[in-house]
Amino acid sequence: MTAIPDTVRPSRRVSIRGLNFALLIFVVLYAMIAVLQPNYLEAGLFMNFLRRAAPLVILACGQLYVILSGGFDLSMGAVVTLVVLAASMLIGGDPAMTWPVIVALYAMGLAVGLANGAIVAFLKVPSIIATLGTMLLVNGLALAWSGGAPRGDLPDNFRNLGRLVLRDVPLVGTLPVAVIILVGATLLAGWGLHRTAYGKRLLAVGDNPRAAELAGVPVKPTRISAFVVSALAAVTAGILIGGFSGVSVNAGRGLELQAIAACVIGGAQLLGGRGSVAGALFGSLSLFALFTLLNLLGLPQALRDSLQGVILIAAVGASVLRHRRST
Amino acid sequence: MSVDTLSSGRTRRGFRDLPVPLVVIALAAFIYVTAALATGQANQISLTGLSGLLQRTVALGLVGLGQTFAILVGSIDLSVAALISTVAVLASYLMQGDAGMIVPAILACLVLALVVGVINGGLVACWGINPLIATLSTGLILQGALAAGFTYLGGRVAPEFQALAYQAPFGVPLPVLLLAVLAIVAWFVLAKTRFGAHLYAVGGNPDGAKLAGLRVERFVLAAHVIASLGACVAGLYLAARLQSGTPWIGRDGVYDLESIAIVVIGGTALSGGKGGVLGTLAGVLLFASLDASFNMFGVDAFLKQVLRGAIVIAAVAVYAVRNKGHVA
Amino acid sequence: MTAVLEMRGIGKAFNAVAALDAVDFDCRAGEVHVICGENGAGKSTLMKVLGGSYRPDAGEVLLDGKSVRFLHPREARAAGISIVHQELSLLPFRTVAENIFTGMEPTRWGLLDRPRMQDRARALLQRLGSAIRPDALVADLSIAEQQLVEIAKAMLVDAKVLVMDEPTAALDDRDARSLLDLVLRMKAEGVAIIYISHRMPEVMAIADRVTVLKDGRRVWTRDRADVTVNAIVTAMVGRELQDFYPARSPTAPGSPVLEVRGGGNAQLRDIDFVARAGEIVGVAGLEDSRKSVLAQALFGDAPFTAGQVRIDGQPARLRSPREAAAVGIGYLPGDRKREGIAPRQSVRDNALLTLQAMAPVLSSPQGGARSRPEVDQSLNDMDVRAGDFGQEIATLSGGNQQKAIIARWLMQEPRVFVFVEPTRGIDVAAKAAIYETMRALANSGRAIVMVSSDLPEIIGVSDRILVMHQGRIAGELPAGAEEGAVMRLALGVAAATVAGEMAS
Repeated sequence: MTAIPDTVRPSRRVSIRGLNFALLIFVVLYAMIAVLQPNYLEAGLFMNFLRRAAPLVILACGQLYVILSGGFDLSMGAVVTLVVLAASMLIGGDPAMTWPVIVALYAMGLAVGLANGAIVAFLKVPSIIATLGTMLLVNGLALAWSGGAPRGDLPDNFRNLGRLVLRDVPLVGTLPVAVIILVGATLLAGWGLHRTAYGKRLLAVGDNPRAAELAGVPVKPTRISAFVVSALAAVTAGILIGGFSGVSVNAGRGLELQAIAACVIGGAQLLGGRGSVAGALFGSLSLFALFTLLNLLGLPQALRDSLQGVILIAAVGASVLRHRRST
Repeated sequence: MSVDTLSSGRTRRGFRDLPVPLVVIALAAFIYVTAALATGQANQISLTGLSGLLQRTVALGLVGLGQTFAILVGSIDLSVAALISTVAVLASYLMQGDAGMIVPAILACLVLALVVGVINGGLVACWGINPLIATLSTGLILQGALAAGFTYLGGRVAPEFQALAYQAPFGVPLPVLLLAVLAIVAWFVLAKTRFGAHLYAVGGNPDGAKLAGLRVERFVLAAHVIASLGACVAGLYLAARLQSGTPWIGRDGVYDLESIAIVVIGGTALSGGKGGVLGTLAGVLLFASLDASFNMFGVDAFLKQVLRGAIVIAAVAVYAVRNKGHVA
Repeated sequence: MTAVLEMRGIGKAFNAVAALDAVDFDCRAGEVHVICGENGAGKSTLMKVLGGSYRPDAGEVLLDGKSVRFLHPREARAAGISIVHQELSLLPFRTVAENIFTGMEPTRWGLLDRPRMQDRARALLQRLGSAIRPDALVADLSIAEQQLVEIAKAMLVDAKVLVMDEPTAALDDRDARSLLDLVLRMKAEGVAIIYISHRMPEVMAIADRVTVLKDGRRVWTRDRADVTVNAIVTAMVGRELQDFYPARSPTAPGSPVLEVRGGGNAQLRDIDFVARAGEIVGVAGLEDSRKSVLAQALFGDAPFTAGQVRIDGQPARLRSPREAAAVGIGYLPGDRKREGIAPRQSVRDNALLTLQAMAPVLSSPQGGARSRPEVDQSLNDMDVRAGDFGQEIATLSGGNQQKAIIARWLMQEPRVFVFVEPTRGIDVAAKAAIYETMRALANSGRAIVMVSSDLPEIIGVSDRILVMHQGRIAGELPAGAEEGAVMRLALGVAAATVAGEMAS
């Protein structure tokens, strides 16, 4: 063999770069919060910040799986609503029912995830339409079931998952249960994506499904599993949200878009193939820090949506520019 | 989509060669008639019943016409629902019941739609942002601004404007006529003009279109402007019909998802470059018949939402399931 | 004779990497000027500068002696430069006439003049010697017919300069020959033709002058009379290529590894053949012979619905690529970009993909390879050249991507290796390396099935040649068979009697 000079371009470590970008935004935003409210720098308030951000982080981790597989999951918010309403009606205020009902909630999530995945993988409906459809469907079911006006209360042992704060914990002082769940879920998501053959399959499927198929990857099961992960993450987030916000028919409204925005800020490439859990984590923390900042500044709640739109465009637009320059 | 994989499927012949719009219209008629007979409401199968049915198609039909253009060039517009709400609110705010403000209000709404369309098109065509995200975001921005500002934007349309929605010259409701005229214009543009041919070229193969000398960005931009204008007209119609706009009429009508669904049901390819407005009209007729049937059967509102979700998925699946490649 | 087109000192760089460096080029009316060069030599970049897709960083383009500067392909097209693109740029759901006129539709009172489009399209296609209907949908045409439509599209404008970028790459020999006739006719009409090709026989057949590019520079431009194939190849790779095809194994092939008996599906019938350990079985055939369907069937991608397949004597079920991989079949897809690589993943992960696919889902991403050095070793064994195996595979050259995909399968240790068009779109030197790899794989006791449209490659590499015709194996030929013998079988001449019996 002779030497064939290849035009070797410098290697790109995109996941690291995406992480840095999101981490940087988070640090800047949190610093701004701290300027307005210096006590946010105390461990207790930071823990509280994490506690309230936990559902979004968990949703973003689930959404990330679907985004990396090349799709979108717009049914997450509806699943959160379903979880909150179903929990209040099934438990009916009886603490003994909490754990059986939580199992039932995960079973519902599993069903929604399998349905989403099967519709995309077997019926070949683009996920954005399929999951918008299931969003309508799940929302409608939840509302029809509760009759539009939720009854029943959530017992304390259920709400504690989102609400309870452990005191006198070494090192950190206070430790909310939600933060433990947050850390556990993030580690689990990171392990699944970055430390298993499964994660690599998922990335390959999102990157080039045909090539993945011809390399022996079971494309359909992989794709379906991503939707299942996403739905289970939505159930987890729903349980936390039910814990600290209580029962509401609007519990999950708009969360799916926040999760997508978080992933995008974290450097995940839409339509698959690139992204990291660390990016999604800091992306969602950035987004939540921004919401917190806006509250502190006294901006109307409704403008959150608008701002999120601007962020989505900016984040996706920035990655477009970045890749345009490098190719 | 690759050309060579398509050519392998050409041996299949049969009912699939029937024009899609025809099949869809037949299905719509079948559903409507069956529902009317099954619920013992045979009187629905009459000119009045039919005119009521057509009336149901107007809002979605208008959005669908615009959406057809966006999808034909290979893009998509998810901001239509928010734009409909914005236009309806803006029109009723500007009119405040004053007939003299009808024309200025309409002009203002059209300008707004133009701006939104240009922004959507610019983000997609010039900046290269994924159209789903770009239009979802502009929709969010509009929706947020609307929700924040609505308390200051109350109002109602002029009674004369409202009357337009209820007039029926020659027994045909005026809005239905409006839809018909706009549909004919849209069909004419797509089938008979160079502009239309270029839209198909850009949607079917953007790289090829560029090499053939077309300025691809301009056509994507134009299609987005048309999509926004369609939503604008729908918003004006809804404002007239409901007397005043609210920030939720677009979202509650699920116009984004349903407009995409009827376009796809009508045989327009989501990947672009194939389809047309006749299919979209057939699609909206099908949805209207389904809706009418639910009403005849007395389906409850939440359950109707469930059924709608299921029907959208099923309708798109009918086309998509034949796809050979992978879909995400 | 003066040059219609002159390009002087053209330079173009991407990310500070020079793709073209002071290239001079010209083309005269009524001349076929062939450009040769390896992939990445700058041929396509030069033509994209000419066609207005790229703006040059340096140099100037002169058309009829006047300096021109194109900012968009439409300006180049308007100036009389027509390009037949390598990647088909057609609209599958539009008619032939609509495709030919894309961007130049005639109008009457502001409306499309469809009758005129039909008539002119028909006339153009007739001039090309084709009977394609102008109102046929492009999706219903064969690849060769689509290529003709593409050429008709380029000829719609009165082209002063016609660029053909590997127009025969997707064509079989019969269609390629008729395309070359067409080129000669166009040349007789006084068009300046720039022809890019990797196929040496056709270069020698039609060239008036030849220019060789290497690494973005012009090596030389010579008249046809002064060039030989050897000279071109030497200039392209910068060295002599002696043994282009590797020597066949001296030992006789071993026991059967792959046996197919009575295999068939919707597109294939009566497939019977055996591939033995240590041999390369070539599968030849025209574009419509469904030879690639056979490859897909062997890999479970378009599974056999009838018949039996045995691997090492054991019956094997091949209903999906995954099952095929599990029983020891490896597959190098024909379309590297669409079917081979996961472009945004690292070279290493691309090479590991099959191991990852077959390993338990929650096992380590190393997929059963014991360590990263082990993975890197097999990439090095395949001589994959990359600065860092952690970089995205899309940044590698085609030949290196191809080698990484072969490495992917080698780690899985397949018994049978199916290669589909293994060297399509790959430069000469990388081709030789891939042939050597195939031979080495065979010598290590594997059975190789190579499906290819490149006849010299089939004849030069195969130990046995199966020729397909209309979904059947029309016949088998020994190593080194004559091209004519292969073509006769491929055209169905020899099989005609059999087909006649079937019909009655």
